[in-house]
Amino acid sequence: MDHLTRLENKSIYIIREAYYQFKDIAMLWSVGKDSTTLLWLCRKAFFGHIPFPIIHIDTSYKFPEMYRFRDERAKEWNLHLLIGRNEEKLLGGMGPDQGSKLDCCNELKTNALKMVIKKYNLKAILLGIRRDEHGIRAKERYFSPRDSQFKWDYENQPAELWDQYQSMVEEEEHFRIHPILHFTELDVWSYVKREGLPIVPLYFSKEGKRFRSIGCVPCCSPIDSNAQTIDEIVEEIRTSKTSERAGRAQDKENIYTMQKLRALGYM
Amino acid sequence: MKSVSKKMKKALIIGIDGVPYSLLNAYIKKDVMPNLKKILSQGFRLHQMNASIPDISSVSWTSFNTGVNPGEHGIYGFTDLKPDSYSLCFPNLGDVKAPPFWDILGKKNPKTSTLSHTYHPRITHPHRSIIFNVPHTYPASPMNGILISGFVAIDLKKAIFPESVYPYLRSINYLIDVEAEKAKEDKGTFMQSLFECFDIRKKAISHFFADESWDLIFACITESDRLHHFFFDASVDEENPYYESFLRFYVELDKFVKDLYDQFIQRCAGKGFFMVLSDHGFAPVKKEVYLNRFLEEKGFLVLKKDGNFYERIEEGTKAFDMDPGRIYLHDRDRYPRGAVRKEERLNLLKEIKEALTSLKGEDGKKIIERIYEKEEIYHGPYSGVAPDLVCLPNDGYDLKGSLEKREIFGQNVFTGMHTWYDAFCLLPEEITFSNKPSIQNLTEFILQYYSE
Repeated sequence: MDHLTRLENKSIYIIREAYYQFKDIAMLWSVGKDSTTLLWLCRKAFFGHIPFPIIHIDTSYKFPEMYRFRDERAKEWNLHLLIGRNEEKLLGGMGPDQGSKLDCCNELKTNALKMVIKKYNLKAILLGIRRDEHGIRAKERYFSPRDSQFKWDYENQPAELWDQYQSMVEEEEHFRIHPILHFTELDVWSYVKREGLPIVPLYFSKEGKRFRSIGCVPCCSPIDSNAQTIDEIVEEIRTSKTSERAGRAQDKENIYTMQKLRALGYM
Repeated sequence: MKSVSKKMKKALIIGIDGVPYSLLNAYIKKDVMPNLKKILSQGFRLHQMNASIPDISSVSWTSFNTGVNPGEHGIYGFTDLKPDSYSLCFPNLGDVKAPPFWDILGKKNPKTSTLSHTYHPRITHPHRSIIFNVPHTYPASPMNGILISGFVAIDLKKAIFPESVYPYLRSINYLIDVEAEKAKEDKGTFMQSLFECFDIRKKAISHFFADESWDLIFACITESDRLHHFFFDASVDEENPYYESFLRFYVELDKFVKDLYDQFIQRCAGKGFFMVLSDHGFAPVKKEVYLNRFLEEKGFLVLKKDGNFYERIEEGTKAFDMDPGRIYLHDRDRYPRGAVRKEERLNLLKEIKEALTSLKGEDGKKIIERIYEKEEIYHGPYSGVAPDLVCLPNDGYDLKGSLEKREIFGQNVFTGMHTWYDAFCLLPEEITFSNKPSIQNLTEFILQYYSE
């Protein structure tokens, strides 16, 4: 079995097991490459028809390309799409310039997701996070979805705490499942290529710049890159020494630093 | 492998964040910490010590690490404003202007300081250090040995040098810090995770201690600080539901220090340099005091309704506070909307000091014990960017720089606050002081040991 197939098999196993265990489950889709890969794997796991809803948390600050991509795929793949928006805060003008970026993330992402989880009474969420992706995601616990026999001991699974969504874990008591945790950034791109997966065009170079990681417009910046095809992206990542989220890292780090300091009573 | 020469020197330094001298002393007397008591009887002495000003970990540990005054190392808090702006930034290791002692010993860092000038020539060969979980050492930069950054480290991969220690840390599910956010939700669970985190910390320290080669190891325990922030009320109150846990923490701490000490004595055949210290003390909180609100009410600070933190500062502002009690004058030549002219400064400082001095608690007692002008306490090339005034409160009144409060006084989940005067150090008894030591005074003893 080749490397990518092995990764794929693991993921599909986890997705099916999660659905079997929880039923009231949904997948969180940011429209980025990782969760789109996860979405693709979910489709594969259930032969093209995903039996649970797909949540997109809409902060209203996403790139237009992302909205377009989301709506096209939702239609094409017949997704049961749930859009989560913190309407009250959006009406109040919440944005990265009102309050802090931390508040913005908290309200428009964390709380919006909380609302969706509550509204649909979800017991578990599938997330497209990867182990190698971001130090913050390595900060607390390394999720171990299975033991050496590849048995998924979901009851012993420590909650994976995902940056700004973390506080919700205890409050809402739902499981977070990470079927592509074992993929690396390079694996994702190799897989995207092998599967011919559609991907938001922001990842490809335009005028010497491309996004290596996408999210909300005010908080993302492109990297210098001439990679216009997946092959070129793969080559770039293979030789690159900078972190994937370099365009977002500082901002994210600052947000996280702020969060840490606030938890101890500063700021 | 290097041959073992007679000159091989070993040092073990244990940092215990936020442990007050007075509490430690009480626990030693009450036999909560019998091992520490025993160590003290073997040629060591416990001293009460002043922290840095302000008494927060990033400044205090940096003062210890570099052995110089904030005016020389350039760190005044966890937060600063970017030059000529109101944007918050978070100083990190890269912003420390003076070399830490491990770089003087390791002969690595091109930065210099008054201390490095003195000791660089006296350190004859490079020494290898393991620096573990020391606050304000993030992101980890190359050094002679191993560095694992402490608070506020975010990304574990950037918190380590060299990369080769990553697989080990990952294998033990290493935690950079306990999740203090959790304390608000469930104190019981938080207490449990504090102990889990403490266990991981001990495990990692023991691993590096035993399995790596080093001339010096400096390891910090930070769970103590978190314990105190959230549970300091349990330190002496036997009725408190967390009293037992609080005590257990100190019992475990005592045992851990002993285990390390014993191994150390064995390893260096009794000839090493051993030191334990904290970076500030703790006292129970009565009230949080929001100095920006106070400055606002007194007309020194004018804030817009919206904007990010200090970006809300309006043109009429004369002064503002940053955590904990750092007062900055809103100078014309320093801030975009600065209002204070040079000739106004002296009077303004006087006015603000008077106002702050008049601040009283419900019991009629003064809230602010002392106000320092920057020239009194900061010396060195980076004292220009220092706060103009730094307030030290009386115990019980925790000064805060929040800009979001509508009242001057408030309460939070915290039951403990930092104190300046009550840090501790445990040192070889040959070391004596004519005046009460400050944390930055200790560094030189380490360098002296290696230059003898």
